[in-house]
Amino acid sequence: MPNEIVAHGAGVRECSYAEAIREALAQAMEADGRVFLFGEDVGVYGGAFGVSGDLFHRFGPERVIDTPISELGLAGAAVGAAITGMRPVLEIQFSDFITLAMEQVVNQAAKIHFMFGGKASVPLVIRLPGGSGTGAAAQHSQSLEAWFAHVPGLKVVQPSTPHDAKGLLLAAIDDPNPVLIFEHKLLYKTKGPVPVEPYRVPIGKAAVRREGTDITVVATSIMALRAEAAAQRLAAEGISAEVIDLRTLRPIDFPTVAESVRKTHRLLTVYEGVKTMGIGAEVSAMIAESEVFDFLDAPIARLGGAEVPLPYNPALEKAAVPQEDDIVAAVRRLVREGEA
Amino acid sequence: MAVEVILPKVDMDMETGAVHAWKVREGDAVRAGDVLFEISTNKAAMEVEAPASGIVRGIAAEEGATLPVGTIVAWICAPDEQPPARAEPAEVRAHVAAGGSPAPAKPAAPAGAISREPSALRATPLARRLATSLGIDLRQVPGSGPRGRIVSDDVDRHAGEMQSTVASAGARNGAVIAADARVIEAGRPRVRRVPLTAVQRIAAQRLVESVRTAPHFAVSAHIEMQALIDLRARLAPRIEEQTGIRPSLTVLLARIAGHLLPRHERINGSMEGESVCLHGDVNIGIAVDRDGELMVPVLKRAGERSLAELTAELARLRKEIEDRAIRPADLTGGTFTISNLGMYGVDSFSAIINPPESAILAVGRTVATPVGRDGQIVLVPRATFTLSCDHRLVDGVLAARFMRDLREAIEHPEVLI
Amino acid sequence: MDQLDGKRDAIAMTTELQIRTGANQRPELAALDDDVLRAALLKMHLIRRFEETAEDSYARGLVHGTMHLSIGQEASAVGAVLALEPKDYILSTHRGHGHCIAKGADPGRMLAEFFGKETGYCRGRGGSMHIADVEGGNLGANGIVGGGLPIAVGVGMSLRAQKRDSVCMVFFGDGATNEGAFHEALNMASIWRLPIVFLCENNKYGMSMDVGRAMAVANVADRAAAYAIPGVSVDGNDLPAVAAAARAAVERARAGDGPSLVECKTYRIRGHSKSDRNLYRTRQEIEEWRDRDPIRRLEDELLRHDRLSREELRVIAERAEQQITAAVEFAGTSPDPRVDELTRDVYAD
Repeated sequence: MPNEIVAHGAGVRECSYAEAIREALAQAMEADGRVFLFGEDVGVYGGAFGVSGDLFHRFGPERVIDTPISELGLAGAAVGAAITGMRPVLEIQFSDFITLAMEQVVNQAAKIHFMFGGKASVPLVIRLPGGSGTGAAAQHSQSLEAWFAHVPGLKVVQPSTPHDAKGLLLAAIDDPNPVLIFEHKLLYKTKGPVPVEPYRVPIGKAAVRREGTDITVVATSIMALRAEAAAQRLAAEGISAEVIDLRTLRPIDFPTVAESVRKTHRLLTVYEGVKTMGIGAEVSAMIAESEVFDFLDAPIARLGGAEVPLPYNPALEKAAVPQEDDIVAAVRRLVREGEA
Repeated sequence: MAVEVILPKVDMDMETGAVHAWKVREGDAVRAGDVLFEISTNKAAMEVEAPASGIVRGIAAEEGATLPVGTIVAWICAPDEQPPARAEPAEVRAHVAAGGSPAPAKPAAPAGAISREPSALRATPLARRLATSLGIDLRQVPGSGPRGRIVSDDVDRHAGEMQSTVASAGARNGAVIAADARVIEAGRPRVRRVPLTAVQRIAAQRLVESVRTAPHFAVSAHIEMQALIDLRARLAPRIEEQTGIRPSLTVLLARIAGHLLPRHERINGSMEGESVCLHGDVNIGIAVDRDGELMVPVLKRAGERSLAELTAELARLRKEIEDRAIRPADLTGGTFTISNLGMYGVDSFSAIINPPESAILAVGRTVATPVGRDGQIVLVPRATFTLSCDHRLVDGVLAARFMRDLREAIEHPEVLI
Repeated sequence: MDQLDGKRDAIAMTTELQIRTGANQRPELAALDDDVLRAALLKMHLIRRFEETAEDSYARGLVHGTMHLSIGQEASAVGAVLALEPKDYILSTHRGHGHCIAKGADPGRMLAEFFGKETGYCRGRGGSMHIADVEGGNLGANGIVGGGLPIAVGVGMSLRAQKRDSVCMVFFGDGATNEGAFHEALNMASIWRLPIVFLCENNKYGMSMDVGRAMAVANVADRAAAYAIPGVSVDGNDLPAVAAAARAAVERARAGDGPSLVECKTYRIRGHSKSDRNLYRTRQEIEEWRDRDPIRRLEDELLRHDRLSREELRVIAERAEQQITAAVEFAGTSPDPRVDELTRDVYAD
């Protein structure tokens, strides 16, 4: 399987993040009879966020399967299907509901390959719409990806663009390991260039979204877009920010981050999950432990979600996660004043 | 919590300053806003006020001492509070300075004496790394970051300053050595650890680089010196009259090299990356020692200037080095170097090329040597010249041709002058 | 070959004769021919001796972790698996040695896993609680109570999608039926009519919790009604009864008629794990169940009906003993995993 981003010139057109995911699912199902999509309301309804759309009608109820509301059972079913030759793709309606399935994801899917001495593999994909910004409040807005990035045996990706949403999903379906894809609800309608043909975005490879010299901003998911917008504004005031979209949390692409920080001497991490014990802590610690430490010319800073369950009120909700202005301010502080 | 009193920056591009006069004494009670001291800059004097109320303790700046901006000069403490510990002035020892010249008995005034406690020093990892590689004592560097944190720019700025003000800091450099020298614990009293000076560090780096990158080889020749000695004797009175200085053999040799090198452009060349740079000018560096520091001032366009000019120029360079007033421009741009150890009685030696140059001429002493001439043994004054070359640019034949021309010129110098 | 076939025919004839002559056998026993019974008895002995040996090795400090022994439950493991074919799958539990041997695993490689050896089924990475024999159709023991139940649903979906006529038998204990996973799995298996046999080994205790205190219904099988699937309770210490119930469930699954719930009522003679001090049950209760030892019961019944001779029984027990001795030898002399391969196999390539 090609493991490269295929540039298709004429074969590239604008489509939404949700459409890109749907296209990847369709192409994977067309190419491989082992692939099937299942989950709550993915069939006739077309998915709670419309991602599966017409797939039920195109591939039939055997390949696009509506399920009871049984997250634990579904995650286990994905495991069972995967270890006996299928390539299941499970949609968990809101990523928050994965908490109901922790047992199967963490104890079974992540460990079976190792626990059985390498004698079984678990090629499953779980798609998880996450993130805040829709007014869905505390139980439907979380960013729990860091929990899973803590588990050896799992892979965790977070696409931020339609291009990566398709490419990472196809790479995940190819992967012989359990891969969790944390999609962002606010991104489903965002548009971007997507090649028509199938292609893979390698799991474990970050993307440098914008080059810069004064500071490295490592961001995930929608925060990568906000960081890019912030960098654009900062450029106007003479601050050159390099923006890295991490894309994969596990296995994390440390070399790309390290190379950048070695150049810029400053690091800011931006992520939507709660700030404490999060992705930013990991990236910061990796830099602090590495030889790049000696190239830091300012404290490492983190911008993460507030230490609070996500609130309902729109102003509060917005205040609970990093916004573009927050990133601009944090970068200014770090670059101009050397303060985290 | 004690509040620090720093020497503030009160002027644009002010990097150092001095406490002109203290208005308070150790132990005085002050209120925020009271005048603590007057600061003098090269433009004006200004009063500095107390940043907090309390007792003045830990006054750490002599009146008149030049200090980097941001240096803590005192603390405002609570009545029962002591200021945070700082470097002991006792560490500044009089007799450690290279050359053994006795330093003043009281703690030396310069910045080195007012050093921040290393543990309290705030510096970014990059600044620390940079300081280590440049041989800079971070305690001398004013920090521009939050709460005085030193960032890489501060170190860079300081390094630039050091280079350009080596001279004015004459006494200070000695004091830095003094402050940093650590007599190793009792029991092993005969070992002293003396950090390299900045000049020594740079020289060390360049020499290592030279040996690592330039494949050296050397060619030697014994050259009769009588004609040159005669020429110098003949010219000396006039030059001394013009400049007040007798021309040295080294100056004569620099003049000769300056004359010859345009015809030996590779020996006057330098290696830059993958290409050879051939220089239109011949700039002769002269290796000079200053208290164990190797410095190479450069006689620019040596082939085009009179002996008197070169004599005066070399004298000026030597003095400025001695006075630590030499400018970086006078230490750079060389295309060839002469190192003369003849005056120390050395017969011959081979020198390490001063990168990125391609050759260096090592001159031994002139000594009366018996040689056979017309079937007779006669005594002639002779010196051994050894040319070290970078084999990447210069091969044996090129080196030999230069030595042949050098012999010709030294043995028949009149044509040059 | 010929000889063997000839012998098998002779046995079949004998069986028919006994049935015809009305030797007073239960149909459950009569349904099993002598070869099957010999193989079943051998496996029961192997399980018993395997676990006793494991226990002994533990006492000698040869086994690193704990273990969960199924001594006393051999009939349910062997009887249930008798109904399966090699192409069928099982999913097992933390008390899974019996299932594993019943499905045909090599006791030597199992014991090697116990000893943490590179030659073990999991190359020493899993230990007693995670033994899997994927090639042999055993998709793994499970350290999580009820962990295998949802997985069985996926296996069933997989078999359906691949149009294979295999079935999946998932073992679990009485304790697992109080997990949410039990409900989710049985519900999905039923609505999708998946080829699954839910085989509950009710050994009366969830660690220390008596099943009567842990659930309000009398039998686990009663819960089948909630999913509109067959539910049957059998004496789990009665091999022919277990085999008959399991066969009916497997046939239904293979025919595409959906899952069943089979409850084997049995008893674990040993404690929950090696650290159990039996504070929650009486010595008398344990003794009563010892009297219902499934191996002795089967042997007595076979003798009573002249199905196997004393000599044959002795030979079978002896063979089990020999196999376990060889297994100990193999495991004991196998190499340990290399520490520098610690992180190998975290991910599949």
